[in-house]
Amino acid sequence: MGEPILKIRDLHYAYGNGTPALNRIDADIYEGEKIAVIGSNGAGKSTFFLNANGVLTPDRGEISYRGTIINKKNLKELRKNIGIVFQDADNQIIASTVMAEVGFGPMNLKLPKEEVLRRVEEALTYMNILDYKDRPPHYLSGGEKKRVSIADIIAMKSEIIIFDEPTAGLDPLNTQMLEEVLDKLGSEGKTMLISTHDVDFVYRWAERAIVFSQGKIIADGTPLKIFQSEEILKKANLKRPTLMEVYDLLVEKHLLEDTKAYPTSTQAFKEMLGNM
Amino acid sequence: MSTIALKGEHWDGHTHGDGINHRHHKIRHKHGEGSSIDFYAYASNIRDWNPAFKVSLSMLTLVLSIVLNNPYVSLAVIVAMGYLTIIEGGLSIQAYLSILMIPISFILLGTITIGIDFSTQPIGQYNLHLGFFYVFTSLAKLKIMFFLMLKVFAAISAMEMMSLSTPSSEIISVMQRVHVPKLFTELMNLIYRYIFILIDVNIKMRNSANSRLGFCDIKTSWYTFGKIASNLLIVSFKKANAYYDAMEARCYDGDLIFLEEDKKVTTLQIAKAAVFVSFLMLLWGFTR
Repeated sequence: MGEPILKIRDLHYAYGNGTPALNRIDADIYEGEKIAVIGSNGAGKSTFFLNANGVLTPDRGEISYRGTIINKKNLKELRKNIGIVFQDADNQIIASTVMAEVGFGPMNLKLPKEEVLRRVEEALTYMNILDYKDRPPHYLSGGEKKRVSIADIIAMKSEIIIFDEPTAGLDPLNTQMLEEVLDKLGSEGKTMLISTHDVDFVYRWAERAIVFSQGKIIADGTPLKIFQSEEILKKANLKRPTLMEVYDLLVEKHLLEDTKAYPTSTQAFKEMLGNM
Repeated sequence: MSTIALKGEHWDGHTHGDGINHRHHKIRHKHGEGSSIDFYAYASNIRDWNPAFKVSLSMLTLVLSIVLNNPYVSLAVIVAMGYLTIIEGGLSIQAYLSILMIPISFILLGTITIGIDFSTQPIGQYNLHLGFFYVFTSLAKLKIMFFLMLKVFAAISAMEMMSLSTPSSEIISVMQRVHVPKLFTELMNLIYRYIFILIDVNIKMRNSANSRLGFCDIKTSWYTFGKIASNLLIVSFKKANAYYDAMEARCYDGDLIFLEEDKKVTTLQIAKAAVFVSFLMLLWGFTR
């Protein structure tokens, strides 16, 4: 696997009122990983993201990006390479036209104007919203705003993209659009971290899952391993993915041989049933 | 309260056959968000003209119609600016007139006091006895009043030409170029973006209060209004925090810089503007 891109050691963070939001966090993020970050509301996922991007300064612990320990001076390097797509697009979109909005990040990187324009064009084409270029964000729908907020980060060409509950408030069609974008980014080898409450999505998409509970990482491993552990599920208040439940039920009723080969998609499940 | 009035106004505007909505399908206008002037500016056909050109033309016209102080010039300005907004910009006449009529009550109140006067004696060219006093006026005074109204309308139509064809962000960028202090232009940019978010939040809170009988009588309405106002303040603080985080996450380091598209101004446009301005001067010269 080689060296991790992002190495987080013994991270502590407390908000103003003193209660620790993050407590002794250790995590290594490797290139090209598809990581799901799960845990109940207030478990510390968003705080973790803001720390990983350098918006919040940890009280203790260190973050190293590609071997360099992050301090005040090279903070910008961290922010440049780790992009966050925020949960509420309205809290992220700042400019008055889509073009200016997507160009905001690259402009802050002090790139030459031609390069910024090229990146904006590229990102808008990527998200299939080139036609919206001159529109103001306040006349866009929720799904369209979400696309703009993703294009924001794509234009920055960051190595790791963090999605904070990307499907929150999206309709099924837009959720599907989002998954297609995630697949496309994944096929290009982008490293992604996604926080979500959708266990079925975690099960089908992620290669690795990190479980947060009360400011701590209580599990880190493949989704299959995590969803098989009753203890973790109980501690983090998680449900099991429907496909796993169905598989276990079929095994229990002796309709299926127990090979522990849990299918990850309905397609795989179909094939499994077809082979019988 | 004014946001609500605004909302109601363009609700009407849209149900009663609003031309712009049929012609410009590119931008969908969602109800309850922002003002119609802002919407028309984005939909205008002359939006792709150079904003600095539009702003300076409108300012120059404004200054000329006030300084030259000539009814013919005023008329020419009203016609020319109407032409730019309606024919070139593609705004419907009804929409244009309804926007021009917004300040009409102020103008009437302001000019009538110049046209008429009160007296206890029956003096003046024309007078009207109203019990204890007389209202009197003269042809000359009416003429002054009428010319003043023309001048005001000319000035307004020059400003409307600008605001109905240039989105606020572009006007702000023009201000930036003429070195208006950064503090103001950055604030204007943020406030402009923010207004729409707060209007949205306000509408949501009002609706939720309304669904719980928060406006059932006058006393409750005032109480609810106060609650919403204070809640809006708290929400805006929270939003400001979230906003700042999101800006920092994208490498914001104290300077708000936005990408702008270069809109070229053509020689033909400048030539036409020059002809128009000289025409106004000549008109003034001949009718002085």
